[in-house]
Amino acid sequence: MTGEMQTVYLCEDEKELAEAIIKELVGRYRVFWSETGAEAVEAARAGRAAILVMDRKLKGADGLTIVETLRAEGNRTPVLMISAMGAVDDRVAGLRAGGDDYLVKPFAMVEFSARVDALARRLSEASAPVLRAGPLELDLVARTVRRESREIELLPREFKLLEYFMRRPGLVVTRKMLLEDVWNYRFHTQTNVVDVHIRNLRLKLDAPGEKKLIVNLRGEGFLLDVAA
Amino acid sequence: MSLRDLSRSTPLRLAGVFALTIVLLTGGVFAFVYEVTTEARVAQLKKVFSDEAETAAASDDARLRRALSLRLTRDFRRLDYVALFDSSGRILFGNLERKPDIPVDGRTHYLPGFRPADEAEPEPTLMVARARPNGDVIVLGRSLANVEMLRSLFNQTLAYAILPVAAGALALGFFFSRRTAARIHEIDDAIAEIVNGDLRARLPIRSGFEELDGVIASVNEMLDEIERLMGQLAAVGDNIAHDLRAPLVNVRAILDQALVEAPKGAALRQPVQTALRQLDRAMTTIDALLRVSAIEGERRRSAFAEMDLAEICGELFDFFEPLAKAKGVELTLAKGGAIIRRGDPDLMREAIANLIDNALKFTPRGGSVKIAATAEEGLARVEVCDNGRGVPAAEAHDIFRRFARAENGADLPGAGLGLSIAETIARLHGMELVVADNAPGARFTLAERVPAAEERR
Repeated sequence: MTGEMQTVYLCEDEKELAEAIIKELVGRYRVFWSETGAEAVEAARAGRAAILVMDRKLKGADGLTIVETLRAEGNRTPVLMISAMGAVDDRVAGLRAGGDDYLVKPFAMVEFSARVDALARRLSEASAPVLRAGPLELDLVARTVRRESREIELLPREFKLLEYFMRRPGLVVTRKMLLEDVWNYRFHTQTNVVDVHIRNLRLKLDAPGEKKLIVNLRGEGFLLDVAA
Repeated sequence: MSLRDLSRSTPLRLAGVFALTIVLLTGGVFAFVYEVTTEARVAQLKKVFSDEAETAAASDDARLRRALSLRLTRDFRRLDYVALFDSSGRILFGNLERKPDIPVDGRTHYLPGFRPADEAEPEPTLMVARARPNGDVIVLGRSLANVEMLRSLFNQTLAYAILPVAAGALALGFFFSRRTAARIHEIDDAIAEIVNGDLRARLPIRSGFEELDGVIASVNEMLDEIERLMGQLAAVGDNIAHDLRAPLVNVRAILDQALVEAPKGAALRQPVQTALRQLDRAMTTIDALLRVSAIEGERRRSAFAEMDLAEICGELFDFFEPLAKAKGVELTLAKGGAIIRRGDPDLMREAIANLIDNALKFTPRGGSVKIAATAEEGLARVEVCDNGRGVPAAEAHDIFRRFARAENGADLPGAGLGLSIAETIARLHGMELVVADNAPGARFTLAERVPAAEERR
């Protein structure tokens, strides 16, 4: 890890979950935990918080309202909303209020970690027309992909999938993230359909003898490994 | 005959019956007055005439002449014609020029066109002729011109009056029965909405139908009570699910953390991983249950927007196609043009995805799954057919119930809940999800219902 650790403010009123989250993040982030969210809002206003992790339902406060208030003040601190499953449109409401990502409890810690890491990188979703990661080059305008000099032909769905990975090099990408962000699906499939898509993409990316670029992390998800 | 059929046929029929009754009653009144004023009068006159003639025939000459002349001038029951003829037909006395052509039988005869004189207008007339013992013939007569005038006046009045009365009765009858029918349709539509699962709908109350409104108010109270009970039931279920969920979430987090911290190759890793998997299964079930009740409970149509069912099927085909290929199942898509409907695209994707997911799960290698999005006669229809094991007919309905799972699919986890969610989503969109035998395999059809209001037309 390089230099100063980033600060995560966690607003969560379930003690066991909060402890598990702290254990997960500690060592990579500085974590402050409060049950109400007041401190977190202060920290965000003062620019001391890199990321807010906000439970939607806090004791005596509403996570949604807190985020809305911050956004209304022009505060852009990334927010990961977490919530016990409730209404169908929770996620929509959470994102509409200004949350950057939304995770429904219960979640696997790897899932949570991956989301926090992604927010910490402050990914710029719409920037250069050409993305580069290691040997890969993806032209968003010409819709072409090359690995070093070799041109790779991808189906539109494979192109979208690769783009998602190339915006998150070296970061864990979970199946759930892919379902939600690449395909816009809010449902869980009990089949291994995502793995099949990855396998197909991988077959095209890696010529025989070449290094495997998309790595399977057992029980976690996938990762685009472009380190030399 | 359903309430709907009845209400459709009634307005015209009721109006017709109403108008007919009014017309008959009016006609009846006219007939009665007509009878009393004309026919009865004529009958009475006939009787009087015959009696008069009899009396006259029996009296002696002098008295007869005096009585007859008196009759001509003063008697209130005026006789228009009085005459006495001798046996050869010569007039002896009276105001007739010649003997009228009627039998001399003492009975009153009706002559439709009698001319008292050659140049006179013919008039309907009553005449009686009777022979006296000496062979003379006495003739009495009365013009019915005024009675006839009355009669034609009646007929005219009836002819002029009956049309407006009939038209008015028809219009009035139609208006009232239309109003009632419209009311019944309104109630019927509201009931249809409730039957389709919107327990929040109530029957409309309008003033002007007191008896009906009393019944409707009672039905609405009953619906309030049902909704309250259903709400309580759902709330209990949700609370249990929520309460179960919170500790499970924490247990999962603890196990997850333990796994992270456990050294590689530790003996505990395997059982912890198994426990996590089982926990995930339990939580998938709880989540699906909560999801069904959330979709049901909120009836949220706020997120409704334009969506293209054909496009959604296309996207899902694209999504599942690699999986089907990997499983050795042939997945095909048949779709025509766009099928634009209002709905929640996220939920609709979920519903159709669950159907495809389910079909792929139950179709063995070498089988096929077909997706089709069509709109026939304006009714959207999404079909997912497979040639897998199928759904036994006896379970075809139960399959959408929470917790239900086809008998022969018991070894595959979570098959029932996805369908239950799909069914709930279908109902939210005014569609229905049915399963049929595809011989072999199952055919799931997500189809738009014919709107209640249109079915009637």
